[in-house]
Amino acid sequence: MTYFTSKEQAVDVFKRLFTILLEDEEFTSRMRAADLTLRLIQTKPDLELYIDPEGIKVDADTGSAIINIKMSCDTAHALWSGKLLMPVALATGRVRVRGSVAKVLEFVPLLQPAFDRYPKIAEQAGVAAA
Amino acid sequence: MTTTPAVLDPVAPGTLTPELEKLRLEVRAFAQDYVRPRVARNDHAEADDFDWELVRQGHDLGLLRLVVPKQYGGLGYGVLGVAVALEELAAVCAGTALIFGATLLGQAPVLLSGDPKLQQQYLPLFNAADPVLACNAVTEDLAGCDLLIPENAPYAADVLSARRVGDNYVLNGRKRFITNGKVAHFASVYGNVEGFPGATGLTCFMVSLDAEGVTRGAVADKMGYRACLGSELAFTDLVVSADQVVGGEGNGLIVNLQQMNMARATVAAISTGIARGAFDLAKGFAAERIQGGAPLHRHQFTARKLAEMTTKIDASRLMYLRAAHLADNEIPAPSYEPAAAKLFADRIAIEVAQEAMSIMGARGYLREHGIEKFVRESFGARIYEGTPEVLAIAITEALYAQEDDD
Repeated sequence: MTYFTSKEQAVDVFKRLFTILLEDEEFTSRMRAADLTLRLIQTKPDLELYIDPEGIKVDADTGSAIINIKMSCDTAHALWSGKLLMPVALATGRVRVRGSVAKVLEFVPLLQPAFDRYPKIAEQAGVAAA
Repeated sequence: MTTTPAVLDPVAPGTLTPELEKLRLEVRAFAQDYVRPRVARNDHAEADDFDWELVRQGHDLGLLRLVVPKQYGGLGYGVLGVAVALEELAAVCAGTALIFGATLLGQAPVLLSGDPKLQQQYLPLFNAADPVLACNAVTEDLAGCDLLIPENAPYAADVLSARRVGDNYVLNGRKRFITNGKVAHFASVYGNVEGFPGATGLTCFMVSLDAEGVTRGAVADKMGYRACLGSELAFTDLVVSADQVVGGEGNGLIVNLQQMNMARATVAAISTGIARGAFDLAKGFAAERIQGGAPLHRHQFTARKLAEMTTKIDASRLMYLRAAHLADNEIPAPSYEPAAAKLFADRIAIEVAQEAMSIMGARGYLREHGIEKFVRESFGARIYEGTPEVLAIAITEALYAQEDDD
């Protein structure tokens, strides 16, 4: 099933999700302390988000980040909705990460608020529940 | 004609980071100065004798927290750091290396879980004053690779059962050949949820081995790796909370495969260490032994043997370093490189150990010279964490795999 009806809808949802995370001072200070940058490469519809403590860039030609995560938008929707478990998504290759695994392990717990906030964001944008 | 650009491996001997090079030298000194004097005693001891003092010294050096992230008190060296350390230990005693390697296996599901609660519960234990060991409990009497190969899972027989009761699971069954089972604080235990045929409902549980319902069974009397203990673990009506499940119910095969891909580079490092340990003895002997007026290594037959042996060890090391480096930089960890590294390293460990014994002649056959221990132990890694047959399946599947991001 394709949950996103347009690229604009997908950009809106995922950009809003990470904007909320960046508003959390603990999140941004941990990113700064670990010198973390994140590049989300999402497909179907295709979009790229580059996230650093200063903000979010969409489809910018930023090159590689410290952590690069590739998945489809539907997989991202299932993941953030809590319908797909992260270890399973990673182990089955539905989510592919390139970059220091040590940094990823440090980063994943910081994403916890995203799981709490995502369902509401998706619902407000008119995305069907996963 | 289309050409594929060569990809240079960023990790090669001499190019380890200064931190990893320092670790390698520290572990080498520990292996030579502290482990070596205890090798014969631990090898000749009763099967269930365990050298806690050796573990304590290794713990003080940080060997139990090499892969644990720094925020949990670990050293954060990743799989590469573990592999480098295990080669150094195995060049002196493979059984000692496996005590620490098996602990990595027990830690792996917690690391892979991405679950801060599980990580906070288990990972700081490895930074405590006293050493804590972990283990991974997969193998059973009737099920080995049936718990590793997804196509085999429906046919797995008599697998440890997990019955869901409210917010808990009740585990019943037995595990066999579990390295560190006798001495570990906790284990990742794989059981099949009732109602699923074979092992299709395989699930990974984190289990305290001091809990009521766990019985640590007899230690196996092995031909090698005697410094570490492999034992049975029996689970009788053991109650495990659902929050101790890693990766969700029914996803045990996936977690297990991921764990294997992390661990295989480190087992390849152990095999490389065994080959190196045997080679070093033969090299020393070939320099001292005079025949026909010249040291053995001046004779072409022996020179050819030594050249082949050292080349195989170099190749093996490069393969495990590449595999470990990838395991530290890709999720999911690749399946091809770790399996290929282990397949090669396990084979050359046997070849090099046997050749080393032949170079040393009658002395090689005597226990006092230490070669026979390397020969015995060279066969061990062919069995655990994937036999050559299981590795061949992983390698060929990777060859034909198509990347699909749905």
